[in-house]
Amino acid sequence: MTLYHFLILSVLLFSIGLYGVLSRRNILSVLMSIELMFNAANINFVAFNYFRYPGQVWGMGFAIFVITLAAAEAVVGLSLILAGARHFGSSSTRPGTAPHD
Amino acid sequence: MDPLATCPLEVDGLIIDAIFYVLAAATLLSALAVVSCRNIFHSAIALSACLSIVAALFALLGADFLAASQLLVYVGGIMILMLFVIMLSQRPATVPLQRANSQWFWGLLLSGVIAWRLLLSFRQVFRFEGSRTPPVPTTIALGHLLMSDMLVPFEAISLVLLAALVGAVLFGQDLAENPPK
Amino acid sequence: MITEAFWRLWSVARFEAGTYFSHLFAALVALGTTHGVPAVAGSLGVMVVQVLMIVTAVALTTLFMVYAERKVSAGMQARLGPMETGPWGLLQCVADAIKLLFKEDVVPDSADHWLHVLAPMVVVAPVFVCFALIPFGKDLMLINLDTGILFIFAISGVSTIGILMAGWGSGNKYSMLGGIRAAGQLVSYEIPRVLSVVPLLMFYGSQSLQSIGSLQQQRLFGFLPKWFIFYPVIGQLSFVIFFISSVAEANRTPFDLPEAESELVAGFHTEFSGLKFALFFLAEYAYVFLAAAMAVALYFGAGDGFFMAWIPSWFWFLLKTWVLIFVILWLRWTFPRLRVDRLMQLCWQFLLPWALVNIVFTGVWILWRHAP
Repeated sequence: MTLYHFLILSVLLFSIGLYGVLSRRNILSVLMSIELMFNAANINFVAFNYFRYPGQVWGMGFAIFVITLAAAEAVVGLSLILAGARHFGSSSTRPGTAPHD
Repeated sequence: MDPLATCPLEVDGLIIDAIFYVLAAATLLSALAVVSCRNIFHSAIALSACLSIVAALFALLGADFLAASQLLVYVGGIMILMLFVIMLSQRPATVPLQRANSQWFWGLLLSGVIAWRLLLSFRQVFRFEGSRTPPVPTTIALGHLLMSDMLVPFEAISLVLLAALVGAVLFGQDLAENPPK
Repeated sequence: MITEAFWRLWSVARFEAGTYFSHLFAALVALGTTHGVPAVAGSLGVMVVQVLMIVTAVALTTLFMVYAERKVSAGMQARLGPMETGPWGLLQCVADAIKLLFKEDVVPDSADHWLHVLAPMVVVAPVFVCFALIPFGKDLMLINLDTGILFIFAISGVSTIGILMAGWGSGNKYSMLGGIRAAGQLVSYEIPRVLSVVPLLMFYGSQSLQSIGSLQQQRLFGFLPKWFIFYPVIGQLSFVIFFISSVAEANRTPFDLPEAESELVAGFHTEFSGLKFALFFLAEYAYVFLAAAMAVALYFGAGDGFFMAWIPSWFWFLLKTWVLIFVILWLRWTFPRLRVDRLMQLCWQFLLPWALVNIVFTGVWILWRHAP
């Protein structure tokens, strides 16, 4: 368990999230993939904090901000999705598709 | 003195390593499930599993307060809201089995290239770093940090949260049925 | 020599179970190491035994709580309750448990099979984790985490995901409605519940249940116990908000809208039978036990007795916990079920503002106390 291990993990998590953002059809899935990318960033913050600056908590403080921002983003995103689903009858990322595509 | 635990578990590096590998594998598997499940409810459940395991990784890195807040905010808050929205906007019987869209190949290529590139550069810089230190409680230190050096971002975040709250209420109301007076 | 050591332990510990357990486990590990068992394996084995002890104790307590609920409700309605199986019907719940274990496990065709299997486990597993952090008495606690209270709130929030899985995975609209109601209710009441504990954290400067409990074991003027409930205004307000939202979190009447039987059959667990149903039942009662135990640890001085120092702390703790459990059972047979809008009104327009006001009160109190 070294810093490098955690970096590998977070890079893989980030690229999985990126793939999800680019390839999913449902906008809720896109939101979930964005959460994966946020978490990859958080793992980096905490891992650097732990291995490079033991005894300090700046990395964790930033991770708390990231979590808070993710919560704000999810709340606004979800209410937009609900409004969109009510308006278009679908939560697909392609405009003009049939409901529930 | 620590109750009941007069025999502290001397977890040596081997056990810690084993725990890390198991958690990392579980994180990646559940993340893959998030982006590959065809039923959207299943991907949301996989995402909650993934977030809980990331909380366990935080605990492994000595960030006890952060692990608890990750569980509390992500799993207990955001994920439940997401499942709630899924339940409100789709029906179980007719839940669409979604496939990847037409740009899945380019997405795969792009994320693969980015991952490869990042791994190469990390390998050059951080290959041999890392010394484990025994974790200490971080709550009090975090509180002092948030109230002193990070005070400005802390207040900015609270403004952002307030704005998000107002925005969510605004988007959430049905203007067609209840027009503003 | 052994008798002498035991006698010394007795004179120090009296009836304190925690002290005996810690000595016993230390002796077991030492015995293992002299016989060539590695210390790590010994400690791991002891941990497994401790976890099994917690799980068994909680399961047995919930079994007995079901019996208590039936007897209490019978008493309030001038009935006898279960009388046939065993003396005073004491074995009725054992019989029920055995019956549930052997019942057929029915999975509806329209159900999502994976979610249907996973949901009861996701609901029940977090409760047992929470009990590891409860100080049942002096030294009688599995782990003393620095983030104790926050961790309990965080872990118990995971159960809601299981309820949603049950609601969606049953393929039944009643279950679905129950799940949606549960999600709205649990997320809403989580907020005043967490905020109601903030005054305690400010007051004692710690999140560990152990240290909060031990800080309350002092006396004012030599006889008045310094439990947090006795602090004027802030203590009672904090406790009332915590108690109401805990009852709501445990889905108990008057807050049992997710499983309102007159509207939704049985809500999210309509389609569950046999062992899966038993797990949901276990989780509900274990959450009641958890809420009462947390209230005792936070507000009623944990294992602190009024007097009679020879009575062990675990006895005081369990006694106070059972009194609170009785109050929760009493609530169920006293109040009718709330309407959905009233439920949300109570949470957002009463509990949440008063929890915030209470935080301000506590801040003023602390400033005044530290004033020069």
